Amino acid sequence: MKRTVALAGALLLVCALAAFAADTKPPVLIGLQAPITGPWAYEGQMARQATQIAADLINQKGGILGGRQVQIVLEDDAGQPQTSALAATKIGGQKNIVAAVSTYGSSVTEPASNIYEKRRMVNIAYGATAVRLTERGSKYFFRTCSRDDSQAEFFAKAVPLKFGAKRIAIMHDNTAFGKGLAENTRDALKGMVDSGKLQIVYYDAITPGEKDFHVPLTKMRETKPDLWYYTGYYAEAALLVTQAREIGITCPFVGGNAAINAEFVKIAGLPVAKGCFMTNEPLPADLPTPEAREFLKAYKDKFGDIPSSPWPVYAADAVNIIAYAVDKTGSPTDGTALAEYLRSKVNGVPGITGKIGFTDKGDREGVPLFLYVVDDQGNIVISR
Amino acid sequence: MRVFFEQLINGLTIGSFYGLIALGYSMVYGVLKLINFAHGDFFALGSYLGYTMLVFGSGFLTTHLGLWGGLAVAVIVAALCLALVGVVVERVAYRPIYPAGRLPAVVSALGASIILQNLIMIIWGPRYQAYPAQLIPNFPIHAGGLNLTGLQLLILCVSFALMAVLYFVIQKTTWGAAVRATALDRDTAALMGINFKKVIRFIFTLGPALGALTGVMVGMYYRQISFTMGWNYGLKAFTATILGGIGNLPGAMFGGLILGVLEMLGSAYVSTAWKDVFVFLILILVLIFRPNGLFGEKIAEKV
Amino acid sequence: MPGHCVPPHLAASRQKAAGLLLVFAALVVFPFFAGDYLVDVAFFFGIYVLLGLSLNIVLGEVGLYDLGHAGFYAIGAYTTAVLNTRFGIPVLVLLPVSALAAGLFAFLVTSPIIHLRGDYLCIVTIGMGEIVRLALINNPLGLTGGPNGVYGIDSPTLGFLRLDSSAGSYALIWVVVGLAVFALFRLQRSRIGRAWNCIREDEIAAQATGINVRAYKLLAFVLGAALAGVAGNLYAVKLMVVSPESFTFWESCLMFSIVLIGGMGSVPGVIIGAAAISLFPEIFRSFASYRLVVFGVVMILMMMFRPGGVWPRRRGGTESRDLLLRLGRPRG
Repeated sequence: MKRTVALAGALLLVCALAAFAADTKPPVLIGLQAPITGPWAYEGQMARQATQIAADLINQKGGILGGRQVQIVLEDDAGQPQTSALAATKIGGQKNIVAAVSTYGSSVTEPASNIYEKRRMVNIAYGATAVRLTERGSKYFFRTCSRDDSQAEFFAKAVPLKFGAKRIAIMHDNTAFGKGLAENTRDALKGMVDSGKLQIVYYDAITPGEKDFHVPLTKMRETKPDLWYYTGYYAEAALLVTQAREIGITCPFVGGNAAINAEFVKIAGLPVAKGCFMTNEPLPADLPTPEAREFLKAYKDKFGDIPSSPWPVYAADAVNIIAYAVDKTGSPTDGTALAEYLRSKVNGVPGITGKIGFTDKGDREGVPLFLYVVDDQGNIVISR
Repeated sequence: MRVFFEQLINGLTIGSFYGLIALGYSMVYGVLKLINFAHGDFFALGSYLGYTMLVFGSGFLTTHLGLWGGLAVAVIVAALCLALVGVVVERVAYRPIYPAGRLPAVVSALGASIILQNLIMIIWGPRYQAYPAQLIPNFPIHAGGLNLTGLQLLILCVSFALMAVLYFVIQKTTWGAAVRATALDRDTAALMGINFKKVIRFIFTLGPALGALTGVMVGMYYRQISFTMGWNYGLKAFTATILGGIGNLPGAMFGGLILGVLEMLGSAYVSTAWKDVFVFLILILVLIFRPNGLFGEKIAEKV
Repeated sequence: MPGHCVPPHLAASRQKAAGLLLVFAALVVFPFFAGDYLVDVAFFFGIYVLLGLSLNIVLGEVGLYDLGHAGFYAIGAYTTAVLNTRFGIPVLVLLPVSALAAGLFAFLVTSPIIHLRGDYLCIVTIGMGEIVRLALINNPLGLTGGPNGVYGIDSPTLGFLRLDSSAGSYALIWVVVGLAVFALFRLQRSRIGRAWNCIREDEIAAQATGINVRAYKLLAFVLGAALAGVAGNLYAVKLMVVSPESFTFWESCLMFSIVLIGGMGSVPGVIIGAAAISLFPEIFRSFASYRLVVFGVVMILMMMFRPGGVWPRRRGGTESRDLLLRLGRPRG
């Protein structure tokens, strides 16, 4: 008898709890694909943190669709194409995930976006700049970051002129990003090379993960460049510049937008890092938007410092624009409607990295580029 | 010509690192016929430990003991820790597997390598770390039209001195003789009274300690360390071991130097992007014509 | 024979048949119950089975240390990718073509080095694997797309039937795996298989008994490469894009581990080893960074407690039973 009463009481309690839980509105789920493990772990973990902050900020303001909270569902793609495919299948197979923020690395993003396309799920990349990703005619792929060719064109237009350079050395690291940017830059400079205005005296790749670049740097030095553009990542960039100055290379160093950040300054040391340039979209610290200030403050409060690279911020913006679009279309399940809305109706929506809009192909519209420089205090500021 | 000489110094510097790491590889390989994949991670761990000690308490060691004192303590502590780690890894991951044969030991070594590499990532984080810049003495040297740095020459001298000492240890001391004898023929060495367990302990303390020392030097020279650095250096060191000839301990050191110079030649005169292809092709060619490596001896197999 | 007594060898083969039927039924029914994600996981499981079986020919049967097998896998994948995207050749037609390309490549590169002693062969195979990967990254003659790889690979079609869904590719790969398993079992029982095992046990004795050791070793490499090439084709078709990152030295190490963990020379063992290697990271997704540490621990423990593999190749049992069967003498 006592047992029955206890059982009934427990059952009643469970029902009450269930009823209570069912009363609150279900969250809107946004998938996040990121390299939490593997060679890009530091980027993936920052992306996770950034999207978490973005979701928190949205929820603090009351959520979307009448009070529903935004929740991030994370899948690790380990920076590998096939793990990425599996992560995409996992996210894509869940009916109540509205869209995916995916991912970092063009060759990791591509297999995933093929899968999202088949499942008609909107996927927004935050760290994939290869031009061809938006040349495939895909309907559901977008990106909040820019493309390699816009950065290359900016370099070609602005940089040799600024330095009066005639002999350019281009160095890359044979990764999808680094080589892509280098090739695009070489193409963008072709006009000037053909008309004899400048020559590319050095064009070669170093091996990332290695530490000793004395040999290729000595080789580069002998070609007597008066400007040096490196399109790879900051780890090698820091080593390259340090070693280059040691062996007597004095020409200005310009990095691509992955080459210079706070880590670069720390590893190379201020005396070497000072005076290094970089082509980049506006850094969060330089964005005047109130969204950026709010986001960076919240991120810093929770994690101790602002993100050290631009890509996690693009991920946060991807979350923001998805939440915005879902709110406006009113449906958290129709991927096709969402894609249509993003493509045609999103124009100049305020975001952390500036106004967000997408071209017909899914590219981020109108992200300005600047030449940055490391100043005497080690801060990375816009070069005037 | 001047450039060639500069490049040669570059090649020899990195080659000396390969050679020092290869020695640890070669000792274990010669005695146990085990490809110790974890050896590269010993090297990485040593580098990280050195980093931690130099950075600890905002340079506590160096402010109290001076630059060289601080470095010396960091190196000694790193080497001792790695000697301990080496013995532990051998005891836990390798010794139970010896009776099973060579190939299971390879898989076990792979497992040990994965564990060490990921433990480093979990403890120190996935981001690159940097040895403090202000600690390292550096000054450019422009002698005879060459562009070198003081640190480069210092490292080169230290590495060569170390290799000379090790050569002496291997060829002239009883410990070295014991290791060589066991590598040559384990059973006969045992019959001669050489204690196998002691030899194992020796190679698993000296090898990892040497790796740690090299790790600190690499940390000082390049200043940047990452948790994946063990994998790259380990592979190159293994290549150097084979190039020099299995079981030939001085051969491993020379193999490392030769590998460094080959890399330099490929990078400077062929193409930097294709340099590793160049090196492996040369290796394959060497092995086709000298199947026992450059310095390996043909040992008759009893059937 | 009196009453219900069934001869043991017949009983055993009836048990085997029943077991196989059960496995077959489970395979067929699986995609109807499991969601797309699990079916895709099963697809990659199939890929690793093929890769493990392909390395098993070289490492398990003949005992040659091959740590560069990912190179053959890459050749197969890129052959499919390049020929399909440039010339529009259907991908299923390219399946045997990729196998051929990988096999031919293996023949050309291993011929000069097949005589090398175990450990030296090991480093050379590592070198080969790395050369293939680096060559792919450097995009010689503009063929391979560099680090971005080759994209836009078609889905397989059988007449009007498109196999691009999860279930479709699942079916495709497990049919191929079935054929491969069947072929490998036959190979094991054949003269070739016995010659291989003989070479593995004692190469000099094998030579002395008149076996052309060099030819058999080459054959093992070629067949192993061809099967890896098949796996490459199916992989390329599934992802619709290939890039050099999928074919690293680490992949070769994984294949090596599959053969060792499963049991050298053992087909069922390799299947189990492939399951361990491919399913483990998926099961432990939630562990994040610790996942790989656990993986390493498991590898060491496996070698400690079952160094012969999870399902080691049985020696002597089946063969002698077959022999007696043939002599027409029932046992028991």
